[in-house]
Parts: sequence; C-alpha cells; structure tokens
Amino acid sequence: MKKGLISALLLILFGAVSVSGCSTQESASDNQTPAAPQETRDVQSIPDSFIPATDKSKSPEAAKKRTDTVVATLTEPGGVFNPYFYKNGYDGNVSSAIFAPLVSVDKNGKPIPRLAEKWDISDDQLTYTFHLRPNLKFSDGSPLTAQDVAFTLTILHDKAYDGDEDIFETKIKGGQAYKEGKADTIEGITVIDPQTIQITTEKVNARSLLILGGPVLSKAYYGKGYTPGNLEYLRTLHAKPLGAGPYKLEKYITGQEVRYLANEHYYAGKPAVEHFIYKTTEGDALQFFQTGETDYNSFTANEDNLELLKSLGYANINVYTSTAYSYIKFNHSKPYFKDKRVRQALIYGLDRQKIVDTAYQGYGQVANVPVSPVSWAYTEEVNPYRYDLEKAKALLDEAGWKAGAGGIREKDGQKLKLYYLTTKGPLSDVLIPIAKENYKELGVQLEAELMDYNALLARTAKGDHDLASFSTTMLTDPSDGVIQFGSNRSGSFTGTNGYSNPKVDELLEKGISTLDIEKRKEIYKELYNELGDDPPYIFLTYRKLLTAHNARVSGFGPNGYTGISGNLPDLKIEPIQ
Amino acid sequence: MSSIVTETAGLAGARAGARRSSLWRDTFAKLKKNKVAMCGLVFLVMMFLFCFIGPFFSPYASGKVNTVMINKPPSLVHWLGTDNLGRDILTRLMQAGRISLTVGLAAMVLSVFIGSVLGVVAGYYRGVVDQIVMRFADILMTIPGLPLLFIIGAILSEWKVPTDYRIYIVMLMLSLIGWPELARLVRSQILSLREREFMQATESLGLRDHRKLFFHLLPNTVPILIVVATLRVGGAILSESILSYLGLGVVPPTPTWGNMIDAANTLIDFQKRPWLWIPPGFAIFATVISINLLGDGLRDALDPKMKR
Amino acid sequence: MKAYIIRRLLYMILTLFGASVLIFGLYALTPGDFVDNNPKLTDERKAELKQLYGLDKPVVERYFVWLGNAVRGDFGYSLQYQQPVTSLLGQYIWNSFLIASASTLFTWLIAIVIGVISATRQYSLFDSVVTIGAFAAMSFPSFFAGLLIIKFFAVDLGWFPPGGMITTGSNTTGLAHIWEVIDHMFLPVLVLTMLGVGSLTRYFRTNMLEIIRQDFIRTARAKGLKEKTVVYKHALRNALLPAITLLGFELPALFGGAIITEKIFNWPGVGQLYMQAFSLRDYPLLMGFTMFLAILTVASNLLADLLYGVADPRVRLK
Repeated sequence: MKKGLISALLLILFGAVSVSGCSTQESASDNQTPAAPQETRDVQSIPDSFIPATDKSKSPEAAKKRTDTVVATLTEPGGVFNPYFYKNGYDGNVSSAIFAPLVSVDKNGKPIPRLAEKWDISDDQLTYTFHLRPNLKFSDGSPLTAQDVAFTLTILHDKAYDGDEDIFETKIKGGQAYKEGKADTIEGITVIDPQTIQITTEKVNARSLLILGGPVLSKAYYGKGYTPGNLEYLRTLHAKPLGAGPYKLEKYITGQEVRYLANEHYYAGKPAVEHFIYKTTEGDALQFFQTGETDYNSFTANEDNLELLKSLGYANINVYTSTAYSYIKFNHSKPYFKDKRVRQALIYGLDRQKIVDTAYQGYGQVANVPVSPVSWAYTEEVNPYRYDLEKAKALLDEAGWKAGAGGIREKDGQKLKLYYLTTKGPLSDVLIPIAKENYKELGVQLEAELMDYNALLARTAKGDHDLASFSTTMLTDPSDGVIQFGSNRSGSFTGTNGYSNPKVDELLEKGISTLDIEKRKEIYKELYNELGDDPPYIFLTYRKLLTAHNARVSGFGPNGYTGISGNLPDLKIEPIQ
Repeated sequence: MSSIVTETAGLAGARAGARRSSLWRDTFAKLKKNKVAMCGLVFLVMMFLFCFIGPFFSPYASGKVNTVMINKPPSLVHWLGTDNLGRDILTRLMQAGRISLTVGLAAMVLSVFIGSVLGVVAGYYRGVVDQIVMRFADILMTIPGLPLLFIIGAILSEWKVPTDYRIYIVMLMLSLIGWPELARLVRSQILSLREREFMQATESLGLRDHRKLFFHLLPNTVPILIVVATLRVGGAILSESILSYLGLGVVPPTPTWGNMIDAANTLIDFQKRPWLWIPPGFAIFATVISINLLGDGLRDALDPKMKR
Repeated sequence: MKAYIIRRLLYMILTLFGASVLIFGLYALTPGDFVDNNPKLTDERKAELKQLYGLDKPVVERYFVWLGNAVRGDFGYSLQYQQPVTSLLGQYIWNSFLIASASTLFTWLIAIVIGVISATRQYSLFDSVVTIGAFAAMSFPSFFAGLLIIKFFAVDLGWFPPGGMITTGSNTTGLAHIWEVIDHMFLPVLVLTMLGVGSLTRYFRTNMLEIIRQDFIRTARAKGLKEKTVVYKHALRNALLPAITLLGFELPALFGGAIITEKIFNWPGVGQLYMQAFSLRDYPLLMGFTMFLAILTVASNLLADLLYGVADPRVRLK
C-alpha cells in the first residue's frame, strides 16, 4: 500500500520534472527566436544507407502467408505492356520485368551486359557490334536471335510508330530513307550471324549504345503481319506481352494488380520467386506495407517515414539518391532575363538551403549542377551560389533595377513582378512561402500559381511563366540533364524558351561526341561552370529516395537508374522461423 | 417532386407577400424555440468573431516562416502548436477561417444571384427564353460536379491571377457549378406565382416587367431561397476543402481550412501530430454542422411543410 | 403519354448534343494535350505525334469527327491505354456500380427509417440527436473522412482491409470471392453512405411531416387504424413516391462523386480511370466517360419520371 503511494508520488514528481524540462527547453529556443529569426536549423544531410530490419518476426501475418509471392507497389499501370509503346511511365516498370535489354546500366550509370554478352565499338565510334549470349530464348521457348534485334530497331523507324523512343537520334545509316518509304530495309543494320548484329551510325553519340541496346521484341510474335506504315495490329498484343525478361505476365487485373510468373527460359536461370505482383496503389500507401499486403514500397524520403519504418521492425530500409534533379526554370524569352545578372541575383537571393532542409529534412541536398551526385559526371567545383541577400541586391542594382514604390524594384517604369507556376506538392508547399519572403526582401514581387502538371507543361511551352518548377525524370546519361540548354532545342517545354549560349552549344556537342568517360568528365565540368555563370535554370535539389521491403524477401537493392527492375531475377523469400 | 415543391412554396410565397414583417417575427420566434438551431446560430456568430477579430490579437499574424519552430506541439507560446513551416496554428486557423467563411458566403451569394435571376426570367417569360435557360441548365447538370471542377480549374488557370485573388476564382468555380439547381427551383416557384391574384393586380396596374419581376415576384421566393442559401454555405466550405485537396484551391501560403487539413493529410501526421489536423478539421466540421442545423431550423420555422 | 415520351426523347437528344458540344469545347480550352505530356520528345517528334493522333486539326473538325464516330457507338481508342474507350469503361464501370449501388441502398434504407421515426416524433430527443448525427456525418470533407477511417478501422484496429478490391494475389472464387469483395467494399461504402445520408434523411423527414398532416391520414386515424399501419402503410407509401424522381439524379451523381473516395481506397473504378485520364489529357477517354455520365443522367431522369407517372396516377405527364 505504502509502496504504491510512494511510487505514485515518484511518478508525479518525475512527470513534473520531465514536463518542466520540456518547457525550459522550449523557452530556451524561444528566447533565441527573436534574436535570430532567420537562423536555420542545423539539418544533417542523410547519407545513402541500408538499415536492416531489427526483428523479422514482426512481419504481419498477411505477408508471412505469402510463401511464393512477392508484392511491390506501383501507382497506376495502364495496360500497354510493351517497352516501346507504353504511354504511361508505370507501364514502363511493368514492361521492364518482362523484356530484357541487350545492355543495361549499373548503380553508377555505367553500361553492363544483359542479353548481349559483350559489344564492340569501332575506332571511329560509329559502328556497334553486339554479341548475344548463346541459346537465348523468349518466355514461350522460341529462340531470340539477331533477327529479332534487327526487327525491333526497324519498327522504331516506321512512320506509324507513335512511342516515346526517338531512334533517329542515333542516326542509323539509311534510317530516314526507311521511314520515308524509299528503302525496304535499313542499310546500317546488318545481321552477321544469329548471335551477332552490326549497326552503323552516321554520327558519334554517347547515348547510342543504350538506345541501340534496348529491350528486344520477338519478330515471330510482334512481326507477324507487319507491313511498313502499319502498326495498328500491335495494339492487340500490348496486353499479351512476350519478352525475354525474368518474369512473364500471368494476369493483369485492371486497376488492381499485375501478376507475373517466373520465366523458366530466362538466360540467367528461372528466378527463385515463382510469383511477383505489382499492386496498384496511390501515393505512399503506407497502410498496405503496415498491414502486410505489400512487400516493397517506396516512400517520400523524410524523417517521419524513416522513423515509422524503423519502428515496424520487419522493414529493410534503403535510402539512396535519385538520378533526377529539380529546378526552377527561367523564361528566357522575357527581356528582363536577358541580363544574366538578374538571373544570378534571383539564385543568390533564394535561400535554397532552407527550402531543401525544410521540405526534405535532410533527405535532399541543394543542386548546383544538372546531374545527380551519383553520376560519374558530378562535380562540386562550381559556384555554389550560397544564399547571399546583399550580393543579390548588388547584382540587381548593377543591372539597373532600382528600389521603387512599395519596395518593389523598377526599371524603365516596369516593376520586377514575377509569375511563378508550379504543381501542388510537398516542395511547393514549402517553397512558395519561403521564396515569397526571400524575394520580397530582395525587392521582387513573386506571384505563385498552382495547376495540374499537364497545364503547367502547356503553359510554360507557350511562355506564360517567368519562373516554373519542374523535376526531371530519371537520368541515365549526363547528357540527358543538359540537352535542353542547346539553342537549337528552344520551344521544347523542358526547354528554356530561348536560352542561347554558343559556348554551351559547343560543349553540349562535344559532350556526346566521344565515348571516353574521362574526356567527357572534363567537358561536362567545363559546361557546368559555364551554366553556373550564365544560368539557364535555378537548380534546386537532388532528392533521396526511401524504399523499404519486408525482410522476409532478400535481393532488393534499388538504385536511382533502374529502380528495382535489376533486382527482380535475384529475389528470394527467406522463411521466418 | 417538383410539382409538390411548387405548390407548397407557392403558399409560403403568397404569405410572404401579404404580411412580410410578421412572417419574420414569427420565424424568429419559432427559431428561438428550436434549441439545436439556436446553438448553431450562436456557434456561428462566435466563429465569425473568432476568425475576423482574433488575428488582431495574435503576435504571429505576419505568418512568417520560422524554421527553428517546426511542427511543435501546443505550448504556452503557441497554444495550438506550429506547422511544418513553424507558423502558429491558432493564428493560421483564424486567418484561414476568414477565407473559408468568405468563400462559402460569396460562392453562395453568387450562385443564388445567378440562379435566381435566370430562374425568374425563365419562369416569367417562358417560351424561348425559358427553353434556352433551362436547356442550358439541363446540360450543365448532366456533367457531374467534380469532373466539371477539374476542367474549369484547368481553364481558369490560364488567367494570370495574382495569388491574392485566387480566392475569387475559387468562388467563381463553385458558383458556376451551383446555379442550375437554384435556377430550376426559382423557376418552378415563379411559374406558380405568376398565376396568383396579386400578379393579376400588378397586371392591371400596368407595371413594367422588371418591376414585376424583381419587386413582386422575386421577393416572394425569398423564404425558400434563404433556406437553400444557408445550406449552400456549408456545402461551399466543404467544396473549398476538396478543391484544396485536388490542388485547385486557394494557393498557399494563404491559409484556408481546406489547405490546412490537406497539408496534414498523411497517415504519419494523423498518428504523430494531431495538432496539425484537429483544429482545421474541427473548424470545418463544427461550422458546417452549425450552418446546416441553422438552415434546417429556418426551414422548419419558415414552413413546417416545406421540403428541401 | 406517347407524345410525352417522344417529346422527352427529343429533349434528351438535344440535351446530350448540347452536353457533347460543351464538354468537347471545355476540353479543347483546357491547356495541354496528350502529346505535351511527355518531356522527352523533341519538337519535331511532337508535331508528328499530334498529326498521328489528329490533334493538329481545328477544334470544330475534331468535334465532328468525334461526333460522327460517337453516333455510331465508336468512342475511339484511349490514347493512354491503347484500347477502345467502350471496352475500357466496361472493365471499370461495374466496380464503380458495385459501391455506388451498395451505398445508395444503405443511404436510402437508413434515411427512410430515420426520417420516418424522427418525423413521427418531431422535436423529440431522438429527432434532435438524429438530426445532429445526420448532419455530422456529412460535415467532413470526403478525403479527410476517408483517411481517418482508414487509420482507425484498417491500420489501428485491423478490422477491414485498407483498400483495393481483393486481397493482393488472391485467387478465390465463388462464395469466398464474394465475401472478399464485400470485406473490401465496407469502408468505401461506409464513407459514401455517411456523406449522402444526411440530406436524404431530412428529405424524408419533411416529406413525412407534410403527409402526416394531410386529410387522408386523419381519416385513416379516425377509422381507428393502428398508428403503425397508418404511418408505414399509408403515410410512408405516399412519402416514397415522389422520391423516385430523386433516384434518377442520385445514381449518376454517385459515379461522378465517388472519384475521391475511389482514389483514397484504391478502388478500381471509373473515378480512378477519370483522374488518370485527366492528368494525361486522354481526350477520347475523357469524352467517353463524361458522355457516359451525361447519358446515364438523362436516361435515368426520364425513366424516373415515367416510373413516377406509372406509380402515382395523380401525376399527369404532359
């Protein structure tokens, strides 16, 4: 009885202490606040890491019951399961399990062999010879030969082809003639023997290897009934794909799941997990991971999600860096952006560190070059453009924008009022308030507007914006991140609405005109410095990606280039005792 | 359904024309007896005071971003805690209330205005005018609200609207999809009203059309309009939050109850930070329910037999 | 009667024609199109693709091409799914119909029961409590109510699955399959019912109140019939009749109104399909879906009016 009373007293005392402890801490930080309201928190940048599960046995029953099935999430596949014809990126994910390419990339973006055992590139860097692995088969058991590769490249040249792949970039000899109907075959494609194919191009292009070495379609299956100029018949085959990837399609339940079966004819052996499923989900879909309905999810990378995943116990957690970068683009057709000092001022005057830290809580870093830190081309030897209000003010003064009525800068009677267009999301929620404050101090009025992605694309293509936010897709080659800065690319909507810099043009050309990575590194460094001096964009962030998988499954090791598609053949389910 | 509405509403209308002032007194007397509705009314008045006067007493009214004080739970300094940008939730709640209540009221006023003018005109002139207006209303009503909002939202984004005026776009969107139903309602009332004796009197007095329409016919539809309009305000506040959820609403940093909830609309915040979503959630919930209870009370008070 | 039906059918066609013009016009005004959506394409490639899809033609011409095909029942190919729009809608529509009809059923049942009871005991405690309850249920934004319900019932309590229509990877058939779907339906139907039940309850309450005061009910009471018989047999029947016309509006509205609920619960319905189609500006699919709803609305309105006329001989259709 007495003991109980004492412990109760102790509890109250402790409680009081801990409460007062809390409040002193808080008031301490409050005292600091008025003195330095703009002080930024010290946000630690989170390194790429793998955090193993602490207690596999905590896995929910629903997951434990699936002994031969692995479930991953995917937002919304559309049913066009063909790597060259899909219209929706998620169908690309579905296809990548079914179709294997000749050449893929590793986690640093360097080419690695898949269906092709090796490849040779001629000394003039124009001719590619792919050597296929012996005894390759499609999932129905039919042989995969160089003829199939030739067929795949041929239909991409067809004038009725409406997919995303731009094969003409590789400039295969005779490709244009085929498209225009002047030739029956493509001159530059030669099948040497069933295991060897040679492709001759007319221009050196560092990107050609991966385009030419893409996924292979079966000629017997997809080529039946092909006549040049007519690809309509393919539509019926999109729901019944045939490839040489680790898995084959079992069943597509619209709006719900894509089910796969292990492909026994896969060149590296039949995958250990018999069933693989992509489940259609919206957003993080944390609830499905928590209830055990899914084994693999990707999440918004932030402290909250990481903590929650750790607390689950059964989650193996991956933190890795995306190959995409996000940016705010200037509308270079606007006269006031012609002066690069104005653009520089807008970068110096925006506290990007604060935006990135607040939005991503350490799971993102400020970007200064248009390539991800995981790429071989990444460099930090560029102007870091740290937040510097005074410098920004000085630059605007120099450029002739003087403080006017209401604190808004003016030049020739025109106010410096900028329209900023963006989509709704966690970044814009944070960016808009901070940018408005920052620019107000600088004497620039910022008007923000939210719209859906497609409207954003259409309106920026028209040049309705002064500033607009975007993020790139996954970038495989460093050239993917800079191609839009060429003056001949104007008008394209990732583009710049008229950015033009002869030196940049020259370096862009040089960057893809050699296949030697060391040489390219130097060229890109020079390019990035030029882009820093005459900025086409305000580079914002490189983000971390956060994925987790149930520890009962081993083999997941996603990377920023290929996601999990490279892991699928290696998945294993480990029984939980 | 429409035939019966017409009939009973007609009765109400006639009475309204005959002895309006006593009708209002009657109504209020009846309303006062309805405790539930009175609770709603009192709460609404308090909510208005809270939102429109409250911010003047707040030290955080500037809404400045404060990255040192991110996501802090309620304390003596910040009574309802702070949000993901270190802003005071209580202050934002009050400021958001101003916007959300204004949007609700304005969207209602606008749709009632468009709806009743078109309804009166259609009901009075009949014939071609009626056909044109009502067919157009029919057409609009065949397209469900949400898809229509998507489209209108995307189209209106083409207008370069400064952030601060975005709220008017939201009002406009909500009233654009709201008027046809009201126009139908008003028209059916007018159709029966114009056959009544007092209209024959205006005829023999030789009054002009617009006098007849707006001074004699329209006032008779006021009782039913008030009820519908009250309920509309609640609907508009909910719609505003849904627009925010879809990214078509008022642009942050301007707070609305809708975008405040939306900013905390994740499982994690639901579990870890109740102070982010409970205040705006409660504000929407309590306001909408109060408005609806009041509207319902008004309906009972104005005419016990009247339908929605 | 015959003349009435013919006139109504003519109106219907006129309305649908107007709706198609309006919808097509609005979509044409919407910034962005399907080809614009892909950031990888060069300008030349985009121009080629627009030509392939016919997006480069003037709006009016595109409309008439679309109309010509639509009249023959051909709503074209979805750009995104590469499937005929009609077969695509066919795959998704039944899932939506399932939750729409289930929630309509529950909404009506609950609304009728509560409406009748609170009308017979106007201003009682029950009446007040139920009034508040009915309004409380509809005073949450749908997306917020959805997530709250997922948190409590699916994640915390684990009573129901958090979303989807079947358990992932499930191969159940027959009764087990039906049970599985019902299990998954429960939460979305709960949300839809919550949102809809309030206003309908009020409708039935006022309707009942009015009828109870009418002469024939007084006569029935005077004849010495039991109160129960009076209320349920005579009054309720008369209160239900005009509600038939409401049903004509409710069901189509549910298809359009469930978009957010379907999204939150990962329900594979037309709402999801529409969201996806809109974000990619898949016009054939958007037009197909919106026209489908328009046709459904117009047709069920006509049907409801006709039924009403049959059920209640006092209503003259003219």
